[in-house]
Amino acid sequence: MAVTFLFCFLFGRFLYVQVIWSEELNYRALDQWTRELPIVAQRGKITDCNGVVLADNTTAYTVYARANAVLDKEKTSVVLAQTLGLDNQKVYEKLTKKKASEITVAKKVGKELIENLSATSLDGVYYSRDNIRRYPKNNALCQVLGFTSSDNIGTTGIEKYYDEYLSGKNGELLYETDLVGIDLKGSVATYLPAEDGYNVELTVDYGIQEIVESALEKVAVEYTPTSAECIVLDVNTFEILALASYPSYDLNDVPRNDMELLNKLTRNGVVCDIYEPGSTFKIVTSAANIEEYLKGNKAAFSTNYVFPSSRTRAVDGTTVKCWSNHANGKHCNQTLAQALNNSCNPCFTDIALSLGTNTFYDYLSAFGFGKRTGIDYGGESYGLLLPQTAVRGCDLARIGFGQTIAVSGIQLACATASAINGGYYYTPRLVKRIYADDGYVLKENEATLKNRTISEQASKILAEMLEGVIKEGSGKKAYIEGYRVGGKTGTAQKYENGRIAAGKYVSSFVGFFPTDKPKYLALVIVDEPKGAYYGSVVAAPVAGEIFQGIISLKNISPSKTE
Amino acid sequence: MRRTNKVYGDVSILILTAFLAAFGVLAVYSASRYVAQTQYGDEWYFVKKQAIGFVFGVAAMLFCGRLDYQKLIGKKARWIALVVPIILLGLVFVPGLGKTNYGATRWIGIGGVTIQPSELAKYGFVIFSSAYMSENMEKIRTFKGVLPVLIAGGVICLLIIIEPNMSVTMCVGLLMLAMLFLGGMKMKHFLWIFIPVLLAVPVLIIAEPYRLSRLSAFLDPWENPRGEGYQLIQSLYALGNGGWFGAGLFKSRQKYRFLPFAESDFILSIIGEELGFLGIFMLFSISAFLIFRGIKTAASADDFFSFLLAAGITLVYGIQTVINALVVSGSIPPTGLPLPLISSGNTSLIITMASMGVLYSVSARNNMKKKGNEKVRTKRNRFFIQ
Repeated sequence: MAVTFLFCFLFGRFLYVQVIWSEELNYRALDQWTRELPIVAQRGKITDCNGVVLADNTTAYTVYARANAVLDKEKTSVVLAQTLGLDNQKVYEKLTKKKASEITVAKKVGKELIENLSATSLDGVYYSRDNIRRYPKNNALCQVLGFTSSDNIGTTGIEKYYDEYLSGKNGELLYETDLVGIDLKGSVATYLPAEDGYNVELTVDYGIQEIVESALEKVAVEYTPTSAECIVLDVNTFEILALASYPSYDLNDVPRNDMELLNKLTRNGVVCDIYEPGSTFKIVTSAANIEEYLKGNKAAFSTNYVFPSSRTRAVDGTTVKCWSNHANGKHCNQTLAQALNNSCNPCFTDIALSLGTNTFYDYLSAFGFGKRTGIDYGGESYGLLLPQTAVRGCDLARIGFGQTIAVSGIQLACATASAINGGYYYTPRLVKRIYADDGYVLKENEATLKNRTISEQASKILAEMLEGVIKEGSGKKAYIEGYRVGGKTGTAQKYENGRIAAGKYVSSFVGFFPTDKPKYLALVIVDEPKGAYYGSVVAAPVAGEIFQGIISLKNISPSKTE
Repeated sequence: MRRTNKVYGDVSILILTAFLAAFGVLAVYSASRYVAQTQYGDEWYFVKKQAIGFVFGVAAMLFCGRLDYQKLIGKKARWIALVVPIILLGLVFVPGLGKTNYGATRWIGIGGVTIQPSELAKYGFVIFSSAYMSENMEKIRTFKGVLPVLIAGGVICLLIIIEPNMSVTMCVGLLMLAMLFLGGMKMKHFLWIFIPVLLAVPVLIIAEPYRLSRLSAFLDPWENPRGEGYQLIQSLYALGNGGWFGAGLFKSRQKYRFLPFAESDFILSIIGEELGFLGIFMLFSISAFLIFRGIKTAASADDFFSFLLAAGITLVYGIQTVINALVVSGSIPPTGLPLPLISSGNTSLIITMASMGVLYSVSARNNMKKKGNEKVRTKRNRFFIQ
């Protein structure tokens, strides 16, 4: 009886372990039965919108050794050292160290060396393909593209933001081994193929990017600024056609050892840094005024209204001054268009104060200030906008002409674009589509309308006024014969520790063409130029040069004369 | 020497034993092949020894099968059977003779031969207690009369436990209790012994810290998969890999150094992996059948000595088989106990086969008596009822 019972219990127990529990046990055991070598997935390419390759890979190999499976350690280390050009002593030490069962002998080994090595057919030595990221255009678009770590993980820029698509999925080569990692005789390695990463096509046009970068290079030579930035935007889709920062660095030779320098060089100033925009911001103030006037708001000024000629306005007991001393009479009896031409500060103070905080802040919000544009790039800045509840009259007066507010380049470019494209604010994009080598498109980044800013009519009026700035006003240096260019200059004083820093300015210019049907918009920001500082002198010619370049690159014919 | 070849005993005992031992040689080969190759440079290292053990084992079994076991009841014989293993157990602790493996001194090496005295001691105890109790059937009813058996068992247990070898100690303890029970000891006395033994278990566990950690490892082996839980996990992996029909003979994955003691204490895991639940089922059925034949032989015995001896031999085999299977399947905490007739280890193999020879000899005598004298039946029934 007892014997029968015991055996019944045993049968039951073994049945449970072997049959019912089997699957889970096997799943756990599988891990210890095999050793795997990674098959590194090919990282996706990054191209511009015309297919110009900006990032791809060269094939390299990683050499591994499984110390327990290396039978003749001395000979193996000698051969490894000779073939790969390593220190024999160090390799031998690695092989004989008891702790690690699997060691990496060398990384990023070229194909030729691997062929030499495989000819020697050493026991316990393995190699697997790896990627070395290569950037054929070196410095071009460096802040946008970013780079990868030595393990091929994107650490900055597009490489980081789109890493999940670019990286792909590594495969494995599974070897059946014993406990200490010696291959079993007659076992066949299981091959789990890698899934290569998707390619990323940027909205950036490499041709335009080149033009922008050489223009920045030129302004840098002439005015030795601490930095210079430029963004070129397609006004109608908010696709970013070029985005450059000076100084740049070679993506194939990243200064990884100097963290401070690296942080400075890799920073995408247009997206991540903010500055006080100054007069370029008057576009937004004008847009708000025109739209409100068309809507019939009594507080808004007519385009025929003549602003008072005084150089100063007294607000909340403080005095707001124009940058000009109003001596030569240029700033007298101005309409809005003329105020834009001359960039006369008091006129915009009048507008902001007349519209009032609530209305004006509605426009600031619609134009995307104080919030992120949603560009597909990490670390975007919000800008600095005083909270509506905290804003005093003197603050509002200054915001009117672009002070007491800080914006990012991308915010200002997008706001301007929507002010002149008929009032459409889209989400700016750097990536057009994500696709596989076989042409399969995984994701297409279409233009998505975020909100309307102003009416088409108001936009048209504003664009024409801004054309006047180029033809007759401060933006003359961006004028191109036979083409309708519009724009606005800006010169902002820099603050350091809360005080105006003497002699330090940010010169900027935002321009677009053609004004009747805007397509290209360029924002140029030159930080601390030496020798000259007015936006009209420093930044406007850069934009002019860029537009000229685009015209010849795209073969754009001149507009019909009016 | 009385010739019993005119009348055959229970031949199935011999056949089943030989079959199991032969199967053991095959299993040892499969389980040890890789480890033998990598550690000794000879994949036949373990199986050679096992094959020699098998040959000697068959010889010992046939020899004992023809032996007149009744002579063992003699005063001289029973004391030799008890004292020789005890002396050998003592010799284990003599430096130079004793061999230490895995932190325990359980073997003595004489020349090239290594023997494990505890294997002999189990059978020594069976012979001694059977002889004593059958001769002193009335004395057994008193506590004083039981003492010699208790002392003999106690000394053996003591010597084995200081090796240390908890699992064999427990086997001998169980064996002693079972023998005393069969010998007709009074229930009252039985409890007097049984309760202290039960109380001793926690003390023994606390005495050696490794036993406590083994106990906790048994409850959740994955809590410490690289330490105490390792052995059990590896055993379960092997069994799990077997499934219904097994991975196929020689196709174990766990024998590639993952499962320690794959050729000895945990050979059942490898058998389960290669032959599946079906293989285990068949092996257990054969073992169970052998045990039933042993019980039958004991039940058919016409004298008390034969009854006790046959029962004792069957008990030794049965207890070890069941405990080993329980350990391997993770039903009780892991202990180092071989699977008799199958596991690698010559002392155990030869002595177990020899004991099966004695069992056969008992069955042969039963058959002879049955033929010669039908009246024996009434007398025999007395023991059966008991």
